[in-house]
Amino acid sequence: MLPADCSRRLVAELQGALDACAQRQLQLEQSLRVCRRLLQAWEPTGTWALKPPPGPETNEEDPLPACTPSPQDLKELEFLTQALEKAVRVRRGITKAGERDKAPSLKSRSIVTSPGTTASAPPQSRGQAGQAGGHASDTRPTKGLRQTAVPAKGHAERRLLSVGDRTRVGMGARAPRPGAGLRDQQMAPSAAPQAPEAFTLKEKGHLLRLPAAFRKAASQNSSLWAQLGSTQTSDSMDATAAKTQFLQNMQTASGVPQPRLSAAEVEAEAGRLRKACSLLRLRMREELSAAPMDWMQEYRCLLTLEGLQAMVGQCLHRLQELRAAVVVQPPRPCPVEGPPRASPSCRGGAEPAWSPQLLVYSSTQELQTLAALQLRVAMLDQQIHLEKVLMAELLPLVSTAQPQGPPWLALCRAAHSLLCEGGARVLTILRDEPAV
Amino acid sequence: MGRRRQRVDPAAGARAGALPEAIAALSRSLPSGPSPEIFRRAKFDRPEAVTLAQRTSALWQLLFRVLSPLPVGNALASLALEAQAHLVKSALCSQGYPRLALAQLPEDGSQGSRELLLALSWLLARGPVPEQMLAQARVPLGDEMTVCQCEALASPGPPAPHMEAEGPVDVRRVQWLMGKLQFRWRQLVSSQQEQCALLSKIHLYTRGCHSDQSLGHLSVTEAEMLRDPEGGQQLLQTLERENQRLEAVLAWRHTELVFWRWMDTVLGTCAPEVPAAASQPTFLPWVPERGGGELELVVRELQALEEELREAVERRRAAWEAKAGGCGRGPEWSAARRASREAVEKELGALQQCWKQDSGPARPHGPHRLVRREDGAAGERDLRAAEVIRTLRSQEACLEAVLRRLQGQCRQELARLVGALPGLIWIPPPGR
Repeated sequence: MLPADCSRRLVAELQGALDACAQRQLQLEQSLRVCRRLLQAWEPTGTWALKPPPGPETNEEDPLPACTPSPQDLKELEFLTQALEKAVRVRRGITKAGERDKAPSLKSRSIVTSPGTTASAPPQSRGQAGQAGGHASDTRPTKGLRQTAVPAKGHAERRLLSVGDRTRVGMGARAPRPGAGLRDQQMAPSAAPQAPEAFTLKEKGHLLRLPAAFRKAASQNSSLWAQLGSTQTSDSMDATAAKTQFLQNMQTASGVPQPRLSAAEVEAEAGRLRKACSLLRLRMREELSAAPMDWMQEYRCLLTLEGLQAMVGQCLHRLQELRAAVVVQPPRPCPVEGPPRASPSCRGGAEPAWSPQLLVYSSTQELQTLAALQLRVAMLDQQIHLEKVLMAELLPLVSTAQPQGPPWLALCRAAHSLLCEGGARVLTILRDEPAV
Repeated sequence: MGRRRQRVDPAAGARAGALPEAIAALSRSLPSGPSPEIFRRAKFDRPEAVTLAQRTSALWQLLFRVLSPLPVGNALASLALEAQAHLVKSALCSQGYPRLALAQLPEDGSQGSRELLLALSWLLARGPVPEQMLAQARVPLGDEMTVCQCEALASPGPPAPHMEAEGPVDVRRVQWLMGKLQFRWRQLVSSQQEQCALLSKIHLYTRGCHSDQSLGHLSVTEAEMLRDPEGGQQLLQTLERENQRLEAVLAWRHTELVFWRWMDTVLGTCAPEVPAAASQPTFLPWVPERGGGELELVVRELQALEEELREAVERRRAAWEAKAGGCGRGPEWSAARRASREAVEKELGALQQCWKQDSGPARPHGPHRLVRREDGAAGERDLRAAEVIRTLRSQEACLEAVLRRLQGQCRQELARLVGALPGLIWIPPPGR
């Protein structure tokens, strides 16, 4: 058995690593769920709703009349349905080759961009105006597809109309609205509302368009961030001077002329020195492995090594200073552990890239390689840290354990496995009894 | 209600009314920022019963949000006021906040609004706080991937509840935990691979959709918004709120000079503090255990390195003396030696710069938006996957070398410790 404090530290470290992994896994799974759902057929999210030809916001006070449609309305809708079906058939005949260069009459001019599309009947399956809350006229242009909304008049009505026609009516009503829309759908087979074509990203993904309001907001967003970036770099001199002055005033007012070393700074310095250590070590390797050709090179090598030695000495000296500056005081009892570490330089950043930069990849393979390497580097980082912790804990135990009986052998075996093989393999110890 | 002094400062061109503007902009730019009234009144510590407590607690909460690097909605956010106040004090102290009066404030939020105002201004003066908070709470519209490793070992938040006061454990438990960790990593890798494949498909299927030509295809967030318009509506609203805050931040940057002048006057109304020798000596009230441990680890590493270097230097020095001791000491000799010395000094100086500098590596920080392009063309500020892969591979090689070296050290050490025992045969595991 390991001593109690050693156990505690080791278990805490490993548990921390496990928790970090679990967190990542959770995030990944969440993201996977979303992606998988996107790649399947999109379901209808709510009840379809139609809007009577333009009466914006007329139904705010009348969200969901549960009335049944009057026979008059039903008949009119029937006529409309037939007319639209015919129109679609005609158009379909024209564009049999699948070219989309007709600007249908019903099509609103405000439809964005390119070649005229045969307005067709998008299957009902894509997201419609979220009717969940019974928002009546949902004419907000933020919908991804051109839809219109009226209070749902009940199922009866829906069944009357074929999938496509609903949208057609909708389109007509919304003609003046610049909607985002699903363009150029292949028409759903005739008037049968029962088996609407599902929308899949694979087949129709390239037809999607973002809503106008969103586009506007997004472009505004990126331009604002860019502005922020530029004001950041060219911060007014006066403001900076005023801030510095204020900080100095604060310092003098507190009676302490020099700012003390703060925990955050100690940590930052420790990190820097750790980086220094690895750089110095790397350099040493280079020098030791290079074979000097002549005495000149040999001399330089010697000088470099001596220089490195001096620098290591300086770093150690600095560390001793830091250690002395840190007087650990038992913290007051606190419901939660103290605040987490000071923000890493990344967030916000020393050189904050306020507008997001792009990372361009060209194939699935590349993306997977990239992601795999990232994980690998993170894992190696963690492994190295754990290795150091294990070394610090286990090696002293092995060296000081007395008596050296079987438990000690077990410890050695475990230590060897953990420290030298990453826990993956175990060595065997044979007792070599002297022949009797 | 007191009156603030109207400062008409020709240099700043401040008209009377610039201060309220500045304060209003500041209040809008901070997340759930206190109203401008609170800022103005905070200057006065008079216990006007209700409003003072309100001001003070609002300021404590704001400070807590600013100082806590964790995202909102975390368990920490729902802490009681006392706990929040305590953490604020601790965090400020660990950042080196100079004023002692703050540490002595009662944590129930009954007084001290002026001190809190000063603390807030101190933080604002030290760094771009509103921008940082915005960046933290930013709406990611694209599929983000973080290239740098800064967040890799970031603190995992509050310690897990199972910080049991465990007794001694068997080393096998440690081995078991290690194995579990390896398994989890493997799971992560396979999930990650699947996600990349799906992501790539989504990008492929939606190419040609985006209004922004440089992006070319939709991201998962955007596609999701189309699939689920309600969620999309929420996204839009969040985006618009972010835009409003961005505008507020820009306005703040334009008008902040007046605020700083005002803060100087606020500071002036406080009595100067005396560094009491008795009450609070120079101490850091809270040093994270990890931080303290880290210092030790670094010390040990450096000491080990020192040892290695000392041996190497001794050897080389001896060899050199033996070889060159016999040679003459002509003038060209010493000139050559001096030249070598200077060259080495310069080289090592450059090396030292690598860690002395505070700024991070040249590599760009922060999350990047993934964009799929068949030709892989990228602008100058953008990263190409191929380059990043190269960098990561070299990093991987470096880290593997470090790990191997450490493992080799352990092997040697263990061999030394156990090798002396007679009657035992150590059979290493089958090689890799």
